Amino acid sequence: MASFWDNIQNIDRRWIYLLVAGAVLFPMIFVANFPIELTPESLQLYNAIDALPDSCAVMLTFDYYPSALAETEPMSVAALRHMFRKNMKVVTISNIPLGGPSIAERVTREIAKEYGKEYGVDYVNLGYKYGYVAVMHGLAGSIERIFPADNTGNLLRDLPLMQTVKNYDNIKFIYVVADNATLEYWISIVNAQYGIPVGGGVTAVMAPKMYAFVESGQMIGLLGGMKGAAEYERLLGILGTATRGMNSQSMVHLVIIFLVIIGNVGFFFSRQDKGKRNG
Amino acid sequence: MVESMSFLDHFQIWLRAYLILSLFSFLYKDNPFYKLSEHIFAGLSAGYYVGLIWQSVILQQLINPMFDGGQWWLVFPGILGILMFTRLSRNYSWISRVSLAFVIGNTAGIYLVSELHGKAIRQIWATMIPLDGGSGAASTILALIVITGVISTLVYFYFSKEHKGLMGATAKIGIWFIMISFGAHFGYTVMGRISLLIGRIEFLYYDWGGSLLSIF
Repeated sequence: MASFWDNIQNIDRRWIYLLVAGAVLFPMIFVANFPIELTPESLQLYNAIDALPDSCAVMLTFDYYPSALAETEPMSVAALRHMFRKNMKVVTISNIPLGGPSIAERVTREIAKEYGKEYGVDYVNLGYKYGYVAVMHGLAGSIERIFPADNTGNLLRDLPLMQTVKNYDNIKFIYVVADNATLEYWISIVNAQYGIPVGGGVTAVMAPKMYAFVESGQMIGLLGGMKGAAEYERLLGILGTATRGMNSQSMVHLVIIFLVIIGNVGFFFSRQDKGKRNG
Repeated sequence: MVESMSFLDHFQIWLRAYLILSLFSFLYKDNPFYKLSEHIFAGLSAGYYVGLIWQSVILQQLINPMFDGGQWWLVFPGILGILMFTRLSRNYSWISRVSLAFVIGNTAGIYLVSELHGKAIRQIWATMIPLDGGSGAASTILALIVITGVISTLVYFYFSKEHKGLMGATAKIGIWFIMISFGAHFGYTVMGRISLLIGRIEFLYYDWGGSLLSIF
């Protein structure tokens, strides 16, 4: 007859899925607030944006697919709030065809409305253009040559903001929010070859790789996944979706740690039981 | 806010909720609802990409500049693009190599500079750090860890000499650094996947739940 520990070893994985789903839901139903500690990388990014002169022009990228919204959208929202608070002029761009341009359109318009910002004067959404390596090089010469029109078809020559923002020379900082390799190209092309400071937020899967670029000074600050977004929200003093999501995240991590411990203890005990049974 | 939603808003939320729950149902077992959602996603993505390429590449970067902007030289990249379709013919597929040669040559040239100048050299440079970093013992220890990690990991991937003696001991240290790196990657990956789950469950709980409450 199988022992308790044998049963633990062979538990139907669907029970684990249910347990994880319950752990995600629990803090939503019974509001829990886990503390969010700041990392030096998120503080570095916040300070870099904060140190920029008010009303300067910055670029914010929406290089992510809708599948990564839970991690990346809070970063974009927090970045926009920070930039609009400082009355910065924001040029948004997307190197991702599926989702990026429409997410940029929706998010920028929503946040701009809160801060009373006007399209074409305070912010412009360039949209998407195929071939991001060529686009990144091309923007150094002339933004208007690469994007004759914005995301909704307005000619750039008719937008007041784009009369002063002609190329990288007029952009003080590039804030990349990405769920793929485009951030590496912003670093290796735009930062390395054109000297524009780059900072960014990425999905948790990408974060470990990107720390190397922060250490080498090629990137100013880094937000890693939902945790990074929650840290930025804390720095701005806002209670956003990432902060709310981190409660569920912490609860699931506790469940995972518990399962790892139970799984390992079960493994050793069931091996011991088998040893005893075999004499 | 939920009360002021239109019928279309409710419809969109319910459609999204249906697709999410259909996809999650695979966790229990494979079923027709999951398959339908999967096929809808594949079909929509393919259709979207065809439309996107037609609009943003063929029209915006080829046909419009040629006919409206008078940039007739674009006929040459256009021909190179058309030649790619010769791959569909067994007899003439060799012609597509002309286009491929252009793409490979161009890509190699662009990437060589960015990879070397923007990554390799800068990353090597970042490992050449002074042991006395100015912040006392802590920076010296961190610098030693970086140097040991880089050298031992490189030694692990050096296969022209058998990993024995000093070489073997250094490679073993390298394995430890690689394992710690894998652990960090795995931990972050778990966090990322859980974040995606949180995003979907938040939608179901707040948006779909809100729509449900406002209807009933």
